[in-house]
Amino acid sequence: MRVAFVGKGGAGKSSLAGTFARVLAATGRRVVALDSDPMPGMAFSLGVAQIDAGLPDDAVEEFEETGRRRYRLREGLTGTGAIERYAVRGPDGVHFFQLGKARGARWDNTRQHFGFQRVLDDLPGEDWSVVGDLPGGTRQPFLTWGRYAETFLVVAEPTPASLLTARRLARLAVTGSAPRVVVVANKVRTPRDAEEVAERTGLLLLGAVPFDPALDEADRLGRAVLDHDPTGPTVTAVRSLVAALSTETRAR
Amino acid sequence: MKIAVVGKGGSGKTTTSAVLARTLARSGYATLALDCDSNPNLGISLGIGEEATERLISVRDAVDAGEEEHASSAEDLVARFGIEGPDGVRLAVVSAIQNPEPGCP
Ligand SMILES: Nc1ncnc2c1ncn2[C@@H]1O[C@H](COP(=O)(O)OP(=O)(O)OP(=O)(O)O)[C@@H](O)[C@H]1O
Ligand SMILES: [Mg+2]
Repeated sequence: MRVAFVGKGGAGKSSLAGTFARVLAATGRRVVALDSDPMPGMAFSLGVAQIDAGLPDDAVEEFEETGRRRYRLREGLTGTGAIERYAVRGPDGVHFFQLGKARGARWDNTRQHFGFQRVLDDLPGEDWSVVGDLPGGTRQPFLTWGRYAETFLVVAEPTPASLLTARRLARLAVTGSAPRVVVVANKVRTPRDAEEVAERTGLLLLGAVPFDPALDEADRLGRAVLDHDPTGPTVTAVRSLVAALSTETRAR
Repeated sequence: MKIAVVGKGGSGKTTTSAVLARTLARSGYATLALDCDSNPNLGISLGIGEEATERLISVRDAVDAGEEEHASSAEDLVARFGIEGPDGVRLAVVSAIQNPEPGCP
């Protein structure tokens, strides 16, 4: 499966995406956890010590085509090869990769940015699952990920701003390769919260994650919730999400 | 004065901006709240409501639609495409990615 976690800033994308990727990897599947947010996030929820895990510049080469500058993987380097060589192995066998952190005002990540797109283009679909953790908002889902995600998983809190973001994402998803869009209600305190998220986004509700103080605690400690509270409400809810999306993907 | 509020997602930028803007307006400053997020939500925190926030047209879209020819200045754009919020704060959205457009990826 190829799933992109999207939603408003702070909705819980990184917490859920990292946990989701590990739960999926633990079932024996080959999983790339791809963090494409220039701000830190997914490394913590995966429990990977190394925050910087990008493609080196020399993995990508520049070439010209009909007068335009383009990028491809270095001669002989395949998508699978790039992951095996450069991704960081995390707990449960997950492969952690980053699309490039902002390292300064003028730090250019063009090569990395396009390099990743080539890695994704080149991955055999059946062999690999991709779990993407995107920056908040609508820009990256719309401009980059529409081509790569089969599923946009919108993480939405039961608040007006989060729901407005979810509606925008649902509208934008109809362009491009038209991935399927589902919503996950996060930080819910009552069953009504989850119903409201479904009603006010008009999206299929894949599941709900309760408001969980243990997640906040894990965050403050800089630990993955999967290691901090492995049988708690967040991990239990994410396990259901993985099961629900796996069933959905097979049914398609 | 010009204040830019920045930080990580979910850390409270929009809420802080809205409270700052309304506090300044209450102290008598003519205040423009400029939502520079391409996923603009500042209207909700300012208190103009969810629907009005969703309906707001960004200055960028207005300019792209040719309104620049009719507007004489930046102030004019903000006056015409902004909206008046509580405490007299004027809200304008710079640029929004919120609707699919023909021809886009
Ligand atoms: N179910 C939950 N219960 C309690 N707190 C939660 C829950 N989900 C997320 N949080 C908290 O919300 C905050 C934001 O979470 P997270 O970093 O995962 O969001 P994000 O969407 O990735 O944010 P950003 O847009 O900055 O990337 C964190 O402090 C996290 O602990
Ligand atoms: Mg994040």
